[in-house]
Amino acid sequence: MVIDIQEQNGGMLALLDGRLDTPAAIKAQQDMAPLMENADKEITLDCSKLEYISSSGLRLFLALRKETAAKGGKVIIKNINDEIRKVFMMTGFFNLFTIL
Amino acid sequence: MDCVKLQRSLTLPNDVNTVPELNEFIDIVCEELGVDMATVMSMNLAIEEAVVNVMSYAYEEGTQGDVCIEAIADDKQLQFIISDNGKPFDPTAKEEVDTTLSAEERPIGGLGIHLIRQIMDSVSYERKDNKNILILNKSLINN
Repeated sequence: MVIDIQEQNGGMLALLDGRLDTPAAIKAQQDMAPLMENADKEITLDCSKLEYISSSGLRLFLALRKETAAKGGKVIIKNINDEIRKVFMMTGFFNLFTIL
Repeated sequence: MDCVKLQRSLTLPNDVNTVPELNEFIDIVCEELGVDMATVMSMNLAIEEAVVNVMSYAYEEGTQGDVCIEAIADDKQLQFIISDNGKPFDPTAKEEVDTTLSAEERPIGGLGIHLIRQIMDSVSYERKDNKNILILNKSLINN
């Protein structure tokens, strides 16, 4: 799992590449710290290369969503594959994020 | 179960870093059964959630223990039996998460068992011979 974070138009863009399973999510929590620090901005998670997500990964997304709600930012999720879309539907995450 | 078509097992230590080995095992089981990609991914997800639950909660922190994953299939269904020698723990007793809550109200946990229930056709737990035994069934007959 590789998370590449860049600044973009005053917000943050993160490209997620690989499988976000339980061990990957433990590591990703540290990698996503710069996003948590910028939770007052618009944060885009580009998931075009995200192959898989388990509940540990979903928890990271939710934690980021909560942080932006508290600080006035926003989370946009882009390009999730059909299987991850199903996981978002099953967990009600679809309603929590702006999904493009 | 009718005539058993596949039976395989894997034993892992209570270390979440071994999850990729579990994913590999599920991929092999699914490949042998020739199930579609969507099912491969949902089986990976449900079984990962169940096994990580055991790895995280069955044994006291700092103590070693195993989790055994057995896959059995016939023409009609795929069954996973997940067992451990840890303290009694029934994940099916956990209250259902409310998926309609807002981001602010949503608790951070409880998603694992919710996903297992959503993906599998049946989930049952029993405590037998000092073991936790979780039985998960998925029909292989297309709806």
